[in-house]
Amino acid sequence: MSKFADIDIDPGIIKRAAAGDARAHEIIYRAFSAPVYSICLRFTKVPAHAEDLVQETFIEIMRSIAKFRGEAALGSWIRRIAVTKALMFLRSAWTKRGQMLADDWHDVTEGDALSHGISKHPDDALDLDAALASLSDVSRTVVWLHDVEGFTHKEIAGFMGKSESFSKSQLSRAYQRLRPLLEVQDSGTQPEGAAISY
Amino acid sequence: MSGNKKEEEMICALTAEEHAALKSGLNALPDTMPPRDVWLRIREQAEAEGLIASKGAQKRSAWYMGAGLAAAVALIAVVLVPGVMTETEEPGSVVPASVGTSSQVPLNTLRTLMTQSRELESNLRALPDAPRVQRASTMATISDLEDRIAAIDFQLNDPEAQMSPEDTELFWRERVRLMKSLLQLRYAQAQRAAF
Repeated sequence: MSKFADIDIDPGIIKRAAAGDARAHEIIYRAFSAPVYSICLRFTKVPAHAEDLVQETFIEIMRSIAKFRGEAALGSWIRRIAVTKALMFLRSAWTKRGQMLADDWHDVTEGDALSHGISKHPDDALDLDAALASLSDVSRTVVWLHDVEGFTHKEIAGFMGKSESFSKSQLSRAYQRLRPLLEVQDSGTQPEGAAISY
Repeated sequence: MSGNKKEEEMICALTAEEHAALKSGLNALPDTMPPRDVWLRIREQAEAEGLIASKGAQKRSAWYMGAGLAAAVALIAVVLVPGVMTETEEPGSVVPASVGTSSQVPLNTLRTLMTQSRELESNLRALPDAPRVQRASTMATISDLEDRIAAIDFQLNDPEAQMSPEDTELFWRERVRLMKSLLQLRYAQAQRAAF
């Protein structure tokens, strides 16, 4: 489950923020800056871009929080703003490079992955972080949105302006790339036919 | 490629066990804190756009240094010397004099929160120092909680804040909640260090 969901803010502080109270906004920033920055950093891989996106996200929060009705959790609302900002940035970057989303895939062989410092047994976060970073921007983003943030393919497709099939296809290709890096120690005990459907 | 074949290819990408391992690993990746100056940039832009009230030349560094001390002084004044507040109370009133006369917040509630906060501070101080070697994720979380508590302390001690009694209670409640989280983390950290 996303870390955004673990953060709760008192409704009174949200009310103060909606009235333009700087301290209330700072409390909200302190609570959510790390997950917002992390998601932006995962998508862009460039700290300076991630910092700019954090700034854009929290400015958007300040502009819009008066319209926040509390129907969903504040964390879910903030996460959606952050994801939208980050994806807008990525789409803009893709556009500038003259690339289509569907083309934004570079094959990462196992050798490439290992050259990025990824072990065959990603027992620690660094390995998985590096494995994730070795994916293309699109694939990495789809994996994160689907498996960490819990968005559906329909939602991801909406974010990216693409079809559900595109999202499924990107996820599948990412899994194929990650699979060699995910060898479970007791792989011999895996039940046959336990493949997943998503 | 036919729909069935494509679907089959997707299904075979990962086994359930591999997928569970991937999800678990991804969710366990630690968050990263943004650099401290990002909030200053946000605040500057927000003030320029009129999204938040400007505080003029207020310096963040000053309140970071003074917030803890100010909170401690406020606690001592209000909690350890209850006469300071009770002397100002009118008969039948439950309002702390420092926060106005239209309060709906019982003084007992504020006192309880302040006492809880003081006890949590005391429990925190009683714990051994943080170990030299700490998990990065724990360090980041502790730092984040401390920042949030400092921000609340500043708000509670800001003479320009003009907080209503309800807001004061709200901020104290949030402070107690964050202090509890901090204490739990530091306690777990101390236990790990002991073994």
